[in-house]
Amino acid sequence: MTEDEGRTTITQDDRLSSLVPHPSSALVIGLGNPILGDDGVGWRVAEEVKQRLRNAECGMQIADCSDQSKIKNPQSEIDIDCVSLGGLGLMERMLGYDHVILIDAMTTGQRPVGSVMRLALEDLPDLSAGHTASAHDTSLPTALQVGRAMGAHLPDRVMVVAVETESAYDFSEALTPPVAVAVPHAADLVIQALRERAFL
Amino acid sequence: MQRITIDPITRLEGHGKIEIFLNEEGDVANTYFQIPELRGFERFCVGRPVEEMPLLTNRICGVCPEAHHMAAAKAADAVYHVDPPPTAKKLRELLYSGFYFTDHTTHFYALAGPDFVMGPDAPVAQRNILGVIHKVGLEIGGKVIQARKYGHHIVEIIGGRKVHPCTSIPGGLTKGITQEQAAEIAEMGRWAIEFAQFSLKLFNDIVLGNKAYVDLILGDVYTHRTYYIGTVDENNKVNFYDGKVSVVDPDGNRIGKYAAHEYTDWIAERVEPWTYLKFPYLKKIGWKGFVDGKDSGVYCATPLSRLNAADGMATPRAQEEYEKFYATLVQEEGERYTSTGKTKVVHARLATHWARLIELLYAAERIVELATDPEIASDKFHAIPTEKPTEGVGIVEAPRGTLTHHYWTDERGVLTRVNLIVGTTNNYAPIQMSTQKAAQSLITKGKVVTEGLLNMIEMAFRAYDPCFGCATHSLPGQMPLEVTIRDAQGESIAVLRQYC
Repeated sequence: MTEDEGRTTITQDDRLSSLVPHPSSALVIGLGNPILGDDGVGWRVAEEVKQRLRNAECGMQIADCSDQSKIKNPQSEIDIDCVSLGGLGLMERMLGYDHVILIDAMTTGQRPVGSVMRLALEDLPDLSAGHTASAHDTSLPTALQVGRAMGAHLPDRVMVVAVETESAYDFSEALTPPVAVAVPHAADLVIQALRERAFL
Repeated sequence: MQRITIDPITRLEGHGKIEIFLNEEGDVANTYFQIPELRGFERFCVGRPVEEMPLLTNRICGVCPEAHHMAAAKAADAVYHVDPPPTAKKLRELLYSGFYFTDHTTHFYALAGPDFVMGPDAPVAQRNILGVIHKVGLEIGGKVIQARKYGHHIVEIIGGRKVHPCTSIPGGLTKGITQEQAAEIAEMGRWAIEFAQFSLKLFNDIVLGNKAYVDLILGDVYTHRTYYIGTVDENNKVNFYDGKVSVVDPDGNRIGKYAAHEYTDWIAERVEPWTYLKFPYLKKIGWKGFVDGKDSGVYCATPLSRLNAADGMATPRAQEEYEKFYATLVQEEGERYTSTGKTKVVHARLATHWARLIELLYAAERIVELATDPEIASDKFHAIPTEKPTEGVGIVEAPRGTLTHHYWTDERGVLTRVNLIVGTTNNYAPIQMSTQKAAQSLITKGKVVTEGLLNMIEMAFRAYDPCFGCATHSLPGQMPLEVTIRDAQGESIAVLRQYC
C-alpha cells in the first residue's frame, strides 16, 4: 500500500503480497458444518489425520495453532485446517499452496452411504458453469478460475476425498453409524495421498 | 391447472424450490417458494451453558457467522443482565463493520455485478463473475480480493479467528487490541473508504448512467409497497450493531421503534401449511396475506429497508450518498423528498443493490472512526456478570436483515429455550411476492416467455440476498435453478435449467 498525497492506493505488489507461495507445503482441509450431522464428516476425517500424525506415526514434530495444525519436518510441511467455507473463501484459504486435499461429505445418491471416494476436483461436475452456485458465492472451480485470472498462486490440481452421505437437515454433533465407520478409511486415503506426494 | 417448478438447489445453503401454479386462463395464480428448514436447533442448544451460544450459533450459517456471533453475545449479555463497557461495544462494532465490508463487497461484485455490469440480457455464458472481471479489468478483481482480505483480517484481529470469531462472551470480550493493531485497522479502513467510493462510482457510471437499467430498477415488476424495519441509533441513523428497531409504513412514516426485549410486541409469525418456515409480519398491522399496502403487515428487512427506516447515515460520506439515493429515486418514483429525510421511501427492490453500496461506505467509515477512538485499545473490554441469569434478547442487523436471538436459561445459565428470527426469514413474504410478480410478468394466458424467465425470477430473489439454509457443504455443487412447466393435467411439458 502506498500513500500518495494522503490517498491510499493499492499497488500490484500489495495484491500479490497476500499470495506468497508455500512451495513445499501441503494443505489438508476438512470441510463442512460440525454441528450438522454427517455434513461434519470432513472435519472428523481431518482430525483423525491430525491425530495420527500427532501420534508420531510418521516421526514428525508438531506445532499447533488454534484449530489449525502445522506438522513439520525439515523437508516439508503439512497444514491441516477445518473450515466451513466454500467458493471464494475456500479459494482464498488455498492461496500459496501447491498441494491441496479437500475432505468433504458428498451426496450423489448413487453410492451406499459411507462409501469413500478419492477424486480430482475437476472430476466433479461444476454445474454452476462459471455462475454463482448459491445466492452468496461462486463454486470452488469458478473461484479458482477467478484467482488464477488475477495471478494468484493456487494449486494446479486439487484432490478431493469424499464420503457419501444423505443430505443433512438436523442439527447434531454426531455422525450416523455408516458415516462414522467411513472416517478411518477416508483418513487412510488422505495419508496415502500425502505419502505419494512425498510429504510423509 | 398448469404447474411450473423452479428448483434452486445450492451448494452452500441446502435448497429451496419454487412452484408456480397457473389458473384456468393460463395466468399465474400463485407462487410458492418452499424452503427446507434445518431442524432441531433449539433441541440442540437446550441444556448447554448460554455462554457457548456465540460459538455455537456462528456455525448455524456459513454465510454470516459473525452476525450470529454478535446477536448471541448480545442476547447472552441480556440473560446475565450485564452491560459491556464502552470499549467492548466499540470492539464488537468494529469487528462487525469489518465483516460487513467483506460481505457487501462480495455480494456486489460476485452476485449483483453480473446482472448490472454485464447486463440482465447478456448471454448466460458471460453473465457471471468471470465476465465481470474481464469487463472491469483484473486490477479491480485484485481490489475485490484485497477488500475481502482486509475485512477478514479485521475480524481475525478482534475475533481471534477469521470468519468464525470466538472472543465475545457475556459482558464483553475475552481480549482487547493494542494501539498498533488499532492503527493497522485504521489504515485498512482508509483503504476501505476509497474502495467503497470507487464501487459507488462504478455503480454510478455503469448502472445509473444507463437509462435501461434505471428503468429496470424502477419498473413495476420489482416494486412492492410494504413496511420496512431497520436498527437505528439515538439520532435515528442506520446502525448495524446497536440501537432500536425502527418501523416505517409504506408512505415512509415512522410508526414506532422497539427495543430488543420488545420484539414480541411487534413481530408475529404466520404459519402456512405448505412450508416449514414461518412468515414474520407486523403484529400491530396484522396478516392480510401476501399483499402490498398499508393494511398488510408484510414488512421487509434489507439494506434498502434500513435506509428507508432511518433518517440518514451516521458518517459524512455515506450521508452524502444517502441523500443522492433518495433525491434520485424518490424523484423518479414521483414522490416527495426533502433533505430532512421526511416522507421519503423507495420501494424499488433492485435499488437494494445501491443501498448495499451506501452501507459498504458507511461500514468503511465506521471502521476508521472506531479504530481511531481513544478508548478502542483500553484494557476495560469486559464486565464480569454478577446477576443471576434469566432471559434475554439480542438484536443486530445482519447484512440480509434484522437478526433476533432470544434465550431463556435456568438460574445456572443453562439454556431451557431458544428462539431465533434470522435475517432472511423477515423477508420470506416479500420474496414470495417478488418471485410471483416476476413470474406474472412473463407468463400470461398460458404463454410462457421462457427466455429470461429464470433471469427475472433469479434477480427478484437475489436483491434480497437470501440465505435460507445453512452451512451444508456436501459435494457436488448442484444446479441452482430448474423450472418444470406442467400442463393442465400436471404433466411435465418442458424443463428449463439455468445456473445462476
